[in-house]
Amino acid sequence: MRIVVAEDLYLLRDGMVRLIEAYGHEVVATATTGPETLAALLKWRPDVAVIDVRMPPTQSDEGLKAALAARLEVPGLPVLILSQHVEQLYARELLANGASGIGYLLKESVFDADQFVDALERVAAGGTAMDPAVITKLMSSGSSNRRLEKLTERELSVLSLMAEGLSNQAIGQRLFLSDSAISKYTTSLFGKLGITDDDSSNRRVLAVLTYLGLTGS
Amino acid sequence: MSWVKSACVGFVRACVVTAVSMLVPAVWAAAVTVAIWWAGNPWSWIPLVVLAGVGTLALSRPVCQMVRSLVAKWTSTVIPAGYLEVGPVTQMSTGYWWNGTSYSRTSKEAREDQEVRLRFKDPANWRDLRFIAIAPFTAGLVAAIPPAGVVAAVLGFSQSVPLVGVLGLVVAIGSAPYAWRPIEPVAVRFLRPSAAMALADRVDELTAQRADTTVAQAAEIRRIERDLHDGAQARLVVLGLSLATAEKLMETDPAQARALLRDARVGAATSLTELRELVRGINPPVLNERGLVDAVRALAMDSPLETAVSAEVELRLDPPIESALYFGIAELLTNAIKHAHASRAQISIARDDTAIVVEIEDNGRGGAEVNAEGGLAGLRRRLAVFDGTLDLTSPAGGPTRARMTVPCE
Repeated sequence: MRIVVAEDLYLLRDGMVRLIEAYGHEVVATATTGPETLAALLKWRPDVAVIDVRMPPTQSDEGLKAALAARLEVPGLPVLILSQHVEQLYARELLANGASGIGYLLKESVFDADQFVDALERVAAGGTAMDPAVITKLMSSGSSNRRLEKLTERELSVLSLMAEGLSNQAIGQRLFLSDSAISKYTTSLFGKLGITDDDSSNRRVLAVLTYLGLTGS
Repeated sequence: MSWVKSACVGFVRACVVTAVSMLVPAVWAAAVTVAIWWAGNPWSWIPLVVLAGVGTLALSRPVCQMVRSLVAKWTSTVIPAGYLEVGPVTQMSTGYWWNGTSYSRTSKEAREDQEVRLRFKDPANWRDLRFIAIAPFTAGLVAAIPPAGVVAAVLGFSQSVPLVGVLGLVVAIGSAPYAWRPIEPVAVRFLRPSAAMALADRVDELTAQRADTTVAQAAEIRRIERDLHDGAQARLVVLGLSLATAEKLMETDPAQARALLRDARVGAATSLTELRELVRGINPPVLNERGLVDAVRALAMDSPLETAVSAEVELRLDPPIESALYFGIAELLTNAIKHAHASRAQISIARDDTAIVVEIEDNGRGGAEVNAEGGLAGLRRRLAVFDGTLDLTSPAGGPTRARMTVPCE
């Protein structure tokens, strides 16, 4: 994969580049500011870009703005946003123009290199990678609380992993359950929520996120 | 209908203003009557002077206080009284009592002595006397028109001079909605404390605020220090220990070393979570990145309440004000959940010509009060630093409405 890395802290940028290269992917460009990021994204059209939210010159949400602007120009351009904190607000903005090729993770997700690279590959393939923290906040916020009352605890944990963007197989591995058990849970919870199940994992994530009110419609 | 109502209300108010402002002249009239009664007596001027003098002095403060409260009630113009406060009286080691100017044998004497001194020293008392002298000839006179009209009408009809009666009635009805109004400008002009007094009050207020702010700030810094000390710092020490041990075990027991490394990674993740929570409590990153409105939107999304936010989109304020309002909203939302057991809340952020106004309403059970040591009093103090205010209406049974106003141009 051809990857662009945008991160203003040298150590983190360097570490990320080395990690990505260790997994056999190619970093085609790095950027350290918002405008640089936008320029690199539009010039290289990478398979996926890893972007820090807060970057110079304003040290506010430069990275997020650059990612949104680039996706307006190149619809569906896969971006994985990294941040020290996750906000539902930002997640909604990212997902507003379609959920394909969107990742939004806490920076410490790079601690687990396998999972991080897995998320990167998922996003590059047009999938979704949402941080568990976003999903937790989402599932405990006022409007979803009542909607999710009908689900059992196990169904809830399956649903949140699904919302993170994981496939049935990956969910099974996380929960130490068999594939068939997971598909039983998904069938029952989709039935309770009144969402039509679909094998394509991305459409499934979308259905879940829409149900939770994270995306517009 | 509304005109009839305002005429009726105005008539009652005019009568009240007349009665209040004519109280002291009535005492003088009584004194003169007594003097005339005893016209032959060469000492007749003594009761006159005593009655008028004592009456005027005794009535001046209650009358002025009443005028202030009436004006505040009718026109919501608040005129600060600005009387000097009675200071504390302390017992000295000699057993005598000191009131700030002189010693007395008992605390009662000391206090009385102080009150007498204050009576003559306090410029507010002289201001009251001046108002007592001026009010009957200005606001009192104008306010007397409607009742006088009614009296003229009654007399005119009963003495069968209908012209006078009709005229009196027309004057009474026509002037009723307006006749009480001059009391406001007159009171503002003659009862307002002098600029020096107002400044002195403001200095007191600011001194108290500064002390509050310093205390609050120190407490906040202590909290941050404690959180860092018990949280992230301790975890980093453990992290270092695990890494050192893992390094040692690498050769002899690789399985154990790997387990330690995994623990270290989990520990690092946990300290990051703790640091993130701490940072959120000091200055929420989204507030820094997006400003008040989006930060409040983010807060509303994370809240277990169903919260609707309505706000002007383009609104950036000074960071300290944004921070104070943000934490105010966060606190009010927490109260709505914890104390009012609400399930829904509505937040509106708007700006008019002079101030930014934040309103929060929940559907909880109400009954919120501002206690001296409570969180709402703290919030009020934090807003006061920016001359802001917190108004709360929270009847038992709900709903609770809170309104924070911070002036800004």
